Amino acid sequence: MENLNLSRHISGQFNNELENVRNQVMQMGGLIEQQLMDALSAMAENDIELARKVIIKDNEVNQFETTVDQDCSRIIAKRQPAASDLRLILTIMKTVTELERVGDSVTSIAKMVIENHGQKVPSLIGLENMGQIVSKMLHNALDAFTRLDLHAAIAVHNEDKKVNRQYESILRELMTFMMEDPRSVPFVLKVLASARSIERIGDRCQNICEQIVYLVKGVDVRHATEEEINALIN
Amino acid sequence: MIDLSNLNPKGEDLASLSADNTALEIKNLNLYYGDKQALYNVSMKIPKGKVTAFIGPSGCGKSTLLRCINRMNDLVDLCKVDGNIELQGINIYDKSVDVASLRRRIGMVFQRPNPFPKSIYENVVYGLRLQGINDRRTLDEACESSLRGAALWNEVKDRLHDNAFGLSGGQQQRLVIARAIAIGPEVLLLDEPTSALDPISTLTIEELITELKQKFTVVIVTHNMQQAARVSDQTAFMYMGKLIEYSDTNTLFTTPKQKQTEDYITGRYG
Repeated sequence: MENLNLSRHISGQFNNELENVRNQVMQMGGLIEQQLMDALSAMAENDIELARKVIIKDNEVNQFETTVDQDCSRIIAKRQPAASDLRLILTIMKTVTELERVGDSVTSIAKMVIENHGQKVPSLIGLENMGQIVSKMLHNALDAFTRLDLHAAIAVHNEDKKVNRQYESILRELMTFMMEDPRSVPFVLKVLASARSIERIGDRCQNICEQIVYLVKGVDVRHATEEEINALIN
Repeated sequence: MIDLSNLNPKGEDLASLSADNTALEIKNLNLYYGDKQALYNVSMKIPKGKVTAFIGPSGCGKSTLLRCINRMNDLVDLCKVDGNIELQGINIYDKSVDVASLRRRIGMVFQRPNPFPKSIYENVVYGLRLQGINDRRTLDEACESSLRGAALWNEVKDRLHDNAFGLSGGQQQRLVIARAIAIGPEVLLLDEPTSALDPISTLTIEELITELKQKFTVVIVTHNMQQAARVSDQTAFMYMGKLIEYSDTNTLFTTPKQKQTEDYITGRYG
């Protein structure tokens, strides 16, 4: 099952079609990574121009999603993929959906930067740290997808705990801030929504890694415990 | 190691199938055409009331194995079989087994429809007449129920006494299936039953196969992998006379365990 050789089909055309959709996911992943870094950077530097660019570029992300979905449905209709080919197509379709939603979360962060511009909001260092963790998770998840690396996928999956802990800590911090200065509530709520967006990106990375495990091992681990997932590589 | 079956529920374990649920058990079957060995130590249990598909490249032995099940290979010179095939616990290769009565219990349908040059009605009741049944009412009832069972009744009920050659290819194949089920077999062997048919007739036969399993155990050989995936409950992949993998169809087509199976069903170079 782990003998995943995605080329070597008798039909060279089929090889090309699969290779093409895989490449598109990688390009889409690269674009989202850049978008996330730009949004985090806009947040850190209060750069509303950069934030605007991020929002505009989300259209490209959406375009990728529809194109890849169309290509995958065409492959299903024409080639009736089975076994690892079928798992690859399913993984790609779910991964692009996750990536598109990461794009939506990134857009929310960029919107927060614009809406809170010039307002008195709490220090966002915790948020930036969490942003760096999810940014690395996204990078590693896409890397694991490219190399079909089960170990790397599971390592990223386990990272999400850190994000959840950081999110809880930010939540407590922001609640204290709101209690101390109730006039800041509308702006702090936007920061809170951004923190939630970043935390959700961590969850999306986890979902992508679950799909990679399915692709490589043929095992559906979406509702498995961490111990069960780790056991797959031991 | 975790129990993956909890995460990914699979079908019933075919190796530990109970005797009550087993229609046929093939045990260590070897077959030789003269000096050439065509089947190597094939062992498998075929569940009752299910559709089992044999797939594999040309010359892998799937049709040979199918033909062993109702001893069609007895007709081939130089063919030697060792091992057992048990139908309800009785080895069909036992000397005491009467081949004609065995074939009444295990019917077969071939690649090309082969109706007899007779009327539709006479084709269906042919087997019954051979058994000495000539009572008109019995034959009429058998004809109607078999044609209904083969999903052909509505198309031919007004022309039962027309020549069977006037039917289309797909209708002729369903007529042959009606003829096979008229004598009430327990197992129905289908050897590439749709390979000579157009896509619509193929779908009609596939639909029929899923209905047939309510009453019979069906074993089908097909070159069309998607057909195996659509109609069968379990699939056996054969390669060069060996049974490489045998599992429930959903598992075999999504997560095959053997690389050879994976390469074959995904259309890769082996």
